[in-house]
Amino acid sequence: MDPLLVTQALNVLYEVVTLAVIVLGLAIVFGLLGVMNLAHGEFIALGAYVAYVCQSHGLPYLAAVPAAIAACALLALPVERFLIRPLYDRPFDTLLATWGLSLFMRKAIEIGFGGGYKSLKIPVSDSVLVLGTPFPAYRLLLMALCAALIAALLLWYRRSVAGARVKAMVGNRELAQAVGIRTDRLARDTFVVGLCFAGLAGVMVAPLVSVQPYMGLDYVLRSFFVLVVGGLGSPLGLLSGAAAIGGVESAMSALVDRTAGYSTVLLIAIFFLWRRPHGIFGRS
Amino acid sequence: MLLLLLALPLALGEYWAFQLGLFFLYAIAALGVALCWGQAGFLPLGQALFVGLAAYLSGAALIQWGEAWWVFLLLPFAAIAAGALAFLLGLIIFRGRSESGPYFAIITLAIALLAFQVANSWNAVTGGYNGMKAIPGLPGLEGFSDVYYLAAVALACAVALCGWLVQAPLGTLWRAIALNERRVAYFGYDTAMLKAIAFGLSGVLAGIAGALYAPQQGLVTPELVGFALSADLVIWVAVGGRKRVLGPVLGAVLVGILSAELRERTYYWDLIVAAVFVFVVLYAPGGIGALLAPLERLLPGRRKALEPLRAPASKAPRSAVTLAIDGVSAAAGEVRILDRLSLAVARPGIYCLIGPNGAGKTSTFNMLTGELRAQAGEVRLDGDILSKPTPYRLARRGVGRKFQIPSVFGELSIDENLRIAVWSARTSLLDWLRPATRRWDTPVMAALRGRYPFLDDGGRLASALSHGERQVLELSMALITEPRLLLLDEPCAGLSSEETAQVREVIRWARDTLGLSVVIIEHDMALVKQLAEHVFVLHQGRLLAEGDVAAIRSDPRVHEVYVGAAE
Repeated sequence: MDPLLVTQALNVLYEVVTLAVIVLGLAIVFGLLGVMNLAHGEFIALGAYVAYVCQSHGLPYLAAVPAAIAACALLALPVERFLIRPLYDRPFDTLLATWGLSLFMRKAIEIGFGGGYKSLKIPVSDSVLVLGTPFPAYRLLLMALCAALIAALLLWYRRSVAGARVKAMVGNRELAQAVGIRTDRLARDTFVVGLCFAGLAGVMVAPLVSVQPYMGLDYVLRSFFVLVVGGLGSPLGLLSGAAAIGGVESAMSALVDRTAGYSTVLLIAIFFLWRRPHGIFGRS
Repeated sequence: MLLLLLALPLALGEYWAFQLGLFFLYAIAALGVALCWGQAGFLPLGQALFVGLAAYLSGAALIQWGEAWWVFLLLPFAAIAAGALAFLLGLIIFRGRSESGPYFAIITLAIALLAFQVANSWNAVTGGYNGMKAIPGLPGLEGFSDVYYLAAVALACAVALCGWLVQAPLGTLWRAIALNERRVAYFGYDTAMLKAIAFGLSGVLAGIAGALYAPQQGLVTPELVGFALSADLVIWVAVGGRKRVLGPVLGAVLVGILSAELRERTYYWDLIVAAVFVFVVLYAPGGIGALLAPLERLLPGRRKALEPLRAPASKAPRSAVTLAIDGVSAAAGEVRILDRLSLAVARPGIYCLIGPNGAGKTSTFNMLTGELRAQAGEVRLDGDILSKPTPYRLARRGVGRKFQIPSVFGELSIDENLRIAVWSARTSLLDWLRPATRRWDTPVMAALRGRYPFLDDGGRLASALSHGERQVLELSMALITEPRLLLLDEPCAGLSSEETAQVREVIRWARDTLGLSVVIIEHDMALVKQLAEHVFVLHQGRLLAEGDVAAIRSDPRVHEVYVGAAE
């Protein structure tokens, strides 16, 4: 195999899989609860900064995982109570309120850590041979972890009682209440879980991206585009959306340049938002 | 106020003249955002695109011809170009999707981000990342205080323009769209066009800000097109108050200037702004502008009654309507809703559409107005096949509709509600701008006011009316448009027997004076008996029987679907 081709293919695959895990939290919060959480990216940033703090205190990288989950959960609980819950039937205001939250978190991070870039050491710095081509081991590990995480979440959602309750709540909130599901608690837990996934994604990608206060803005838009292109509420949609956005962007970036890659993504997103808001497979 | 504005730069010096001038320009752009968001109900999240476009255009013109006095004549074109782009984008987006929720906001944000990419990488034209540099000031204007006065004059004009638009019929229509766009379309308005006009005007305002920004700053960078300014504009409008004309000005000048000053001194200023913004979204949608309400009440009110003005005749056709539904089928997913339905309305009169729940009565209306897509068969209106009907086009051809749940514009006054009906199919763009249009009256409207005295209490909000009054208001609005075919979905639901009798009278009166055909969906058989000249019985999406009341009552098939077959 042509080594360049293998590297390129692995890079595209890496982009797609990590994008899917970046989106996962928003897919839960927006896809299931209908909450357009524009602060999604800031929770990813929060996870990344927790990883930075852990690493700079000499803790093992894995310690960042429970720490980030705890940090996101602690923040998500009051956010759900005071910001999201009063606005469940006002989607437009939810968008604005979470957007205000994102401005707040961004500035808070900037005040706490300064505006500059932070770079993290890659926990696994070896590279391995894939089809005769060297590829960074951490990226491979990350891809495997992302895939496992998505698969586990899916299995849990399909098989568990809690998953069934969530489905009931999404399908018909009043009816779910009538059969004894405490939907306000369930919605709260779903929201918190979604944001913990965002933080977890932040921990996972932190060593490979530039960690800075404004990193979230890019992630939330990309996540939103993935969900619009893929369509809400289906794992297939999540993956195909990530494949479309991540694949096109990395392919265009490789063929032309990064500006072309990002611009193409924006054009695709605009088209879908305008003509196909239910995604590739959705019916309008 | 005027003196204060004039004296400010003299009192505060060059630096403040410069800062205030800049935020006056931002306030002009914020006025545009408020026009879209506070009036027409959709939020543009990428407004910096238009500011930036006009700034680049104006910068390029000034670099090229900066010495010549006639460069002043070119600057309006920069603003108009921005407005034209906004209008076209708005028209394309709103025609593609009729809703104006969060998706529109995200589309405009994505377009602005795309524009940032272009501005940032098109070095030859925009100067790329470093921006367009060394833009000369406007010829003849020396120093920052001259530019300050120009910005102040521009802002005053923009405030006056917005104040006038909000008072004009156009403002009423925008507010109605924000409340219930579908209902406005059913009154025969091209809502996509109305929203695109609002977006286009907001583009012009953003363009004025941009065109003056270039000479004021002497530098235009891609930052101007990007996310930050778009975001700031929305915050200023929200905090200042989006519904009031002066709200965005207050927001831009107060919050903007405080930010510019305090951001350097306290780290926490931006946190405070973000927190205030969230608070406003959650609990105080009126923003700071709401604090002006008591002051406004002190101003002398223009409360004198308006002299009514005879409205011009409706542009919709006047001849008696013929409607033929021929073999129409429609489905939602797997469920068949209409099954080869055929029925015809050949001459004016009162027709009742009855049938058990789920028979397809309301679906028949929805199919006629295009909200339910017919998969087979055809509909003929006046002999022409209706292809791709929309509520707007049908209203233009004289088809009106009243919904089962009364849908009036709750936050508008009774007068405004009635005016929206009077203007239907009678107004042109020019009429939407003329204050005199507010005084239009018609004989039908006068007659309805005579029958229902509560309609004369025009200042009351429609949301303060009882259920019965709202039913009557919506029926009156439908009649004031003088339709040829009126579709009524349970017009008497929830009315007392006295009110029902009144509505019955009004429907008969309308048939006689307007010569219209009325199709009424009705469950109340007593009412059907009193009103109907012809009855259609629907069952499982098909026409089961038709004829006069007596014929229907004696039809065994009708008995079967209502009370079950006699074994």
